[in-house]
Amino acid sequence: MAIEQATTGTGGELAHEITLFAEPIFHYKDFTITNALFTSWFAVAIIIVISLVLRSKLRVIPGKIQNLFEIIVESALGLCDQVTNSRALSLRIFPIAISVFFFILLNNWLGILPLGGFGIIETGDHGMAFIPYLRGGTADINTTIALAVMAVIGANIFGVFSIGLWKTFNKYVNLKVLGGIFTKVRHEPTIIIVAPITFFVGLIEIVGEFAKIASLSFRLFGNVFAGEVLLVSMAALVAYIIPIPFLFLELLVGIIQALIFSILLVVYFTIGATDHEEHEEILVEKVV
Amino acid sequence: MDSIISTFHIDWKIITAQMVNFGVVFVVLYIFALKPLNKLMTERSEKIAKGVGDAKKSAEMLKATSLEYDEVLAKARIEANKIFQEGQKEAEIKKASMLENAKTEVATMIASGKKTLENEKTKMVEEAKTEIVNLTMLATEKLISSKQDLNNL
Repeated sequence: MAIEQATTGTGGELAHEITLFAEPIFHYKDFTITNALFTSWFAVAIIIVISLVLRSKLRVIPGKIQNLFEIIVESALGLCDQVTNSRALSLRIFPIAISVFFFILLNNWLGILPLGGFGIIETGDHGMAFIPYLRGGTADINTTIALAVMAVIGANIFGVFSIGLWKTFNKYVNLKVLGGIFTKVRHEPTIIIVAPITFFVGLIEIVGEFAKIASLSFRLFGNVFAGEVLLVSMAALVAYIIPIPFLFLELLVGIIQALIFSILLVVYFTIGATDHEEHEEILVEKVV
Repeated sequence: MDSIISTFHIDWKIITAQMVNFGVVFVVLYIFALKPLNKLMTERSEKIAKGVGDAKKSAEMLKATSLEYDEVLAKARIEANKIFQEGQKEAEIKKASMLENAKTEVATMIASGKKTLENEKTKMVEEAKTEIVNLTMLATEKLISSKQDLNNL
């Protein structure tokens, strides 16, 4: 479960274990503060500072920072429009999507900051172990699960507010189609076969929601964690120059993963705000 | 499930903490960055759209005014031409009438002159006749008186 990068210290061998889970660095009562959580707080602090700076520099004639953010917002809104096909819907989903993007992006990038030397030395399973203060927030499954759960639950809540509780409920437990057996059977006798299948598909959708959580969280975690492993492995093999291209690769992966998560969130929110019949059409279009 | 939880150290407390972290990010970004930025961008877009609309309107107005100007100018030209032609016609008529009047007046003046001349002539002939008669009578008188004188002698 752990990849070890060993460095020779004066008092013996000091190992930097790369574990699947975030390592604890502090304890507050019974709450364990891991290095991934610490990095996330750092990311939150950076976002707060940037937001406040941006707020204080907002002008009708934009400056450099404002210009950059306007370009980002415009491009992201355009991308959102391509998924939702509606500017009104995009404007409603956009604040959540862009927040997720920045949160994931900063967490991804902070994990690859060359500040791995700051940390604590603890006695681990294999002797003395170095635990860095910074570990990419998204390189901890807890962070990605939190984001995925919020995305899936948020999409359903958004659906309730957009199309109503009854329609959202019928996506999963399709009582409407079961009731249709009695009202439509004379005109469409095939409904006796179709309705139970549709009802069952609705139940599968419930499983699908859990699958969404699993896929979202494990995809992001897997990619970021693999990137960190790659960087540490390369640094262990050759300390200088060689890891640099991989650092740039990981910067790119950080953006791509943040983008993928955000776009999937927009897709889920759009599906949540769409009627069941339309929802199926959209899915077909996405597949095509 | 338990093995997954223990392998990945899945901890609901950390999950909750990360949810709170994201909540803070969302609220801060929305209140301090996205909302004011969006407002500003919308206002600017509206201003630009209004400016473009106004410019279009102005261009249309300019076009319409230019057309109207050309139309008025053309009308004025036609009218001026018409007035000029009418004036010319009127002037010609007046000229002809004045010429006619002048001719008539000249004829009248000539006739009147002729008449005066005739009168004068007649008067002069009359006067000459009277003078001749007087002279003849005077001469006759003188002759008679001289004959008488001779006789008296």
